[in-house]
Amino acid sequence: MENIYKPYLARIEEKRKETYDTTSFKLVFVDDEVRERFTFRAGNFGEYSVLGEGESTFCIASSPTKKGYIECCFRAVGRVTKSLAEKEVGDVIGFRGPYGNHFPVEDFFGKNVVFIAGGIALPPVRSVIWNVLDLRDKFEKVTIVYGARSVADLVYKHELKLWEERSDVDIVTTVDPGGETPEWKGKIGFVPTVLKEVAPSSENSVAVLCGPPIMIKFTLPVLRELGFKEEDVWTTLENRMKCGLGKCGRCNVGSVYVCKEGPVFTAAQIARMPNDF
Amino acid sequence: MPYLKMDSADLPKVARKLAASGARLVLPVREGDERFYREGADPDSLDLTTIPKNSIKEFLFPKTEKILRYQYRGKDVTVEDVPPAAAGRTVIFGARPCDAASLPVVEPLWNWDYKDEFFNARRGATVVVTYACRTAPDEACFCVSVGLGPSSDQGSDVLLFPLDETVVAVRFVTAAGRELESAFAEFGKGEVAEEALEAFRKTGEASLAHRKKFDRVQGWLEAHFEDRLWEEKAFRCVGCGTCTFLCPTCHCFDIQDESCFDVGYRLKNWDACQFSLFTLHTSGHNPRDTQPKRYRQRIYHKYAIYPQKFGKILCTGCGRCVAHCPVNLSLYDVVATAQERAERGD
Amino acid sequence: MSDRTAGIRAIAGKWLQDGTVEAVLGWEQGTYRDKTAPVLVRKAEEVDRLVFNERCTNNLMTYLKRDPVRSLNTVGIVAKGCDIKALIGLIQESQVPREKVKILAVTCPGVRNADGKRPVKCAACDVNTPVFYDEIVGEKIASNPDRAARFRDVEALEAMTPEERHRFWREQFDKCIRCYACRQACPLCICSRCIAEKNQPQWIETSAHPRGNFAWNLIRAYHLAGRCIECEACETACPADIPLMLLNRYMAKVVEQSFGYEAGKDPQTQPPLRTFKLDDDNSFIL
Repeated sequence: MENIYKPYLARIEEKRKETYDTTSFKLVFVDDEVRERFTFRAGNFGEYSVLGEGESTFCIASSPTKKGYIECCFRAVGRVTKSLAEKEVGDVIGFRGPYGNHFPVEDFFGKNVVFIAGGIALPPVRSVIWNVLDLRDKFEKVTIVYGARSVADLVYKHELKLWEERSDVDIVTTVDPGGETPEWKGKIGFVPTVLKEVAPSSENSVAVLCGPPIMIKFTLPVLRELGFKEEDVWTTLENRMKCGLGKCGRCNVGSVYVCKEGPVFTAAQIARMPNDF
Repeated sequence: MPYLKMDSADLPKVARKLAASGARLVLPVREGDERFYREGADPDSLDLTTIPKNSIKEFLFPKTEKILRYQYRGKDVTVEDVPPAAAGRTVIFGARPCDAASLPVVEPLWNWDYKDEFFNARRGATVVVTYACRTAPDEACFCVSVGLGPSSDQGSDVLLFPLDETVVAVRFVTAAGRELESAFAEFGKGEVAEEALEAFRKTGEASLAHRKKFDRVQGWLEAHFEDRLWEEKAFRCVGCGTCTFLCPTCHCFDIQDESCFDVGYRLKNWDACQFSLFTLHTSGHNPRDTQPKRYRQRIYHKYAIYPQKFGKILCTGCGRCVAHCPVNLSLYDVVATAQERAERGD
Repeated sequence: MSDRTAGIRAIAGKWLQDGTVEAVLGWEQGTYRDKTAPVLVRKAEEVDRLVFNERCTNNLMTYLKRDPVRSLNTVGIVAKGCDIKALIGLIQESQVPREKVKILAVTCPGVRNADGKRPVKCAACDVNTPVFYDEIVGEKIASNPDRAARFRDVEALEAMTPEERHRFWREQFDKCIRCYACRQACPLCICSRCIAEKNQPQWIETSAHPRGNFAWNLIRAYHLAGRCIECEACETACPADIPLMLLNRYMAKVVEQSFGYEAGKDPQTQPPLRTFKLDDDNSFIL
């Protein structure tokens, strides 16, 4: 009997504490066949579980171009994520997925791609960033604007360095005013403000955006001013999800089930949704 | 085409025969002043007087059910399937049409891309013998409002028509129903003409003639998400799960892990959008932080979202939510208001 | 129209007109059979919605813990003697400031449930004419409490052996569907995050299996011990027909025998299980 609620088992191959409350894992599926067969698209999410504590919803933070493993990054705030954060390399956790829709990366071929992310919202965007960088010659200019409340809150710091070192990527990192350290060499300012300064061209461009609601609220007008059309601004929504299968009735925003018809949406689609966030 | 005629007093005997093969038998029985559908009850306690307080939902979608088993051995953990509970042959004998009709309504959801084999296994093994309503059994009934009726055969394998206190006509609706013919035939006492069933159906519908048809509700809801109706109407809702849990079509659920040392189960439990925690994010943000918003979600899910997605209203008009709400917040009243406003162009 | 209904409308209208309260919480005629339903009247023109009859069973004090009533500065509440006991409990526990609520008391000969029968609380009632109120309507009714009626079903329970009692409650709690109607209807279930809603740690299993249901129902009974004012809102609301009041009255009997305390009587006292005094009687424990 096919059990849609049964997770794959995955072993933690790498664990990194990104910030004081954020952890990232590199996961390898225990079952050889699953490891071979498993595919997904950038933007998909999964239900990560600690058997005995429960399941938690977050994105797959790695790119589908990387085979044999997946990565995730999460903040320890609740029962399940706190328990996940205590797991060590070698421990086995559960993973159900991939669920949801995805970023239409092929539609971005031949275009400039502007990535904008804030804080813990980098992981879902990171999946697309690596997807794009692994197919670099298919895209035009790649711009990344990433910021967090403070230096301590930046995640995937070692990758920010990697991207800075690449000549085919323009990356600007920033921290909120007051969040800088004496050694900080990046910008100081809120992400929407910095984006305005960077002023990426909207000509033949798409934007991939993810961040806390307040950041999104102030970033969308900046993109609009820069000339980005709402159909070309892509984001991923977070909502309280549980089954990931469209059945438990929890995640809908109006008639849109975030787990089935999302979590990836354009700004145009979001503008049409009722205020059920 | 004529239908089999039998004595209603023989119905328990038919039920007993159907259970003889080892099938799980579910019947409405009397408990105190109420009726409940119960499994394993003695067929002689069959009580068809009125609509039972619970629905047949719990026999296809249990209030709690194990969906997998896990075992820790040191750092390693394994997961095993748990076969769906109570997936053996089940006969629901004496379901009301509104209960039977709930099954085809929820089937598309349990099979929306991903197939829930827990539900499907039980659905495939269940046969429904429905007891049609001569007249609406309760003041709260409104099946006609959602396109059904007291003689609806939706979801039924066999349909019983109580033509009067002693005579029942039997209509075998589906192939699965026809397989039960021999159990009934033994008690057959002749035939009933199709016309008698027509008259029966008309009597039933006449008893509900005062109920509004909810044919404009979906459109009105789609255009009035921010309407003040929800604040006005849902004040008195106390946020319990009574309406949701008694409802034959409500299916929202929670997933929980329960362990005892190194062994445990993952369970699927009934949950309700009326609970304050239902959409609460760990961050503390709650998209539906007030009861009117949660109540709005219930109405929208049933009368706008589900029809948009699956072409059916997620409600069979059984009236349990109306009859048993502790504060008399009548879903019928609220939806009828939406219908009236749609008719007025308001 | 009864005198009580007329009296309630008059006072509610006056209070709303002169701004004594922002709103009046009372009952209106319902739409299912003879049920009444809670209503919040904010304008004097709407007071004709208010009624009082023997189907006014809901304990309206339960709305004090939720918005919109929670956020009001002043509210008038139409209340029977039993309802007022709940308010006394809330005042004892500092949940509601006395000044917030204007009690529109109504003398009550007893109410009837959906089955037409009087609940046990009415037979044993000693507050037919409330004594704690701001205004009162209705002719004075002398109380004639049938004290034996209050604990009659509890005595039957006490006569069972522990095994019989366990089996009895197992059967009853198996019916529980964890809808929490009992908790939501109860005016004294006031925790902003119920113990059943906590998961760090998970104190009670939320699943509706026998173990989880036992835990939930017993813990609720314990949290109400010495506080429950026996308004029967929980049992009336329960869709699974569980005899919750049997358990609550059992606990009330134990509290009365051990501490000599009855809930909801005197705002100046405190429920015994909520307080510690050096001279607490420990004789029955040690």
